[in-house]
Amino acid sequence: MPALRGFLWLLGFLLLGEILLTLTGLPVSAGVVGMLLLTAWLLLHGGGFDDIAAAAQPLIAVLAMLIMPGVVGVFFLVDELAGQWTAILAALVGGTLLSVLTTLWLMRRLMAKRHGDPRDPGHD
Amino acid sequence: MTELLDHLLATPILAIALTLAANVAGIRLLKALGAPAWCPPILVASLLLTSVLALLSIDYADYRRGAAWLMLLLGPATVALGLPLHQQMPQIRLLWRPLLACLPPAALLAAAYAVAIAWLFGARPETLASLAPKSVTAPIAIGITEQLGGSVSLMMGGLLITGVVAIGFVGLGARLLGIRDERIIGFALGLNGHALGTVRAFEIGPVAGAFASLGMSLTGIVSALLLPLAWRLVGP
Repeated sequence: MPALRGFLWLLGFLLLGEILLTLTGLPVSAGVVGMLLLTAWLLLHGGGFDDIAAAAQPLIAVLAMLIMPGVVGVFFLVDELAGQWTAILAALVGGTLLSVLTTLWLMRRLMAKRHGDPRDPGHD
Repeated sequence: MTELLDHLLATPILAIALTLAANVAGIRLLKALGAPAWCPPILVASLLLTSVLALLSIDYADYRRGAAWLMLLLGPATVALGLPLHQQMPQIRLLWRPLLACLPPAALLAAAYAVAIAWLFGARPETLASLAPKSVTAPIAIGITEQLGGSVSLMMGGLLITGVVAIGFVGLGARLLGIRDERIIGFALGLNGHALGTVRAFEIGPVAGAFASLGMSLTGIVSALLLPLAWRLVGP
């Protein structure tokens, strides 16, 4: 059962993240801390993670579905937020357009400074 | 009928089955229609699921209680992103300087733009607090919204819309600015479009996916640490 063993690894790192957060009181989520711990652990060990891959790949594939139960809640708020929808939609759509352009522009600028990087096909 | 439904809702099985069914149906429908890549199946699936809940007159709170079991998997799924992150580590190491320089301003601006626009339109403080973590991955965003005093349901809806439009805008913006580098596109998808953007990035390629995972997790960390602080300073 590679997937089961892999899932146990993921749960182990999640619990480790939870423990670290409880001890430090940082406002991050246990999942993100667990992810960083897993990355660090994989870097230290360098090979043979077939078990973890067997559990990780299907979970990553359904990532979007896992937030669906929360997402659906907004459709039940339609009346409650009456009169604010223009503001909300303008903020989400306009704000995301601006922030996407900012990120793309900023990354291109910052990466363009690194001349002589043969693995960077982005700058010219 | 109501009695049967109540009986079925006593365990999480029905809520989970409905969520899975809506997801499968959403993917099938989009494939059958030949929908463009910017339209993620979760948008269609969420609309389908909402209609089914309304048709069966299932209370959202009842559904949510059952589906919480499914959302529990969000924890191990987030941990799982460490694997692609590790696989692309040589690529990431090469770029750590621009990535680290770009992240704090970009993550804070993602929140600031939205809050500023909503404020200009006269939205209530509670709405502003729900919109601030719109680019942050769900498990972290829930904590931030609660800390700022917003509505978790509105925030999650904001996540959906942000994810969908971020996918569209990153494609558009990259074409506009002439960017073809998978690393920049992936990073922008994860930073602005959280898990939904990251899923899209994995469709583009493994490099884009890993950079999206990185962008998503770093945005989550920076936002969790800085947003509540910035909120207290600005104090809407």
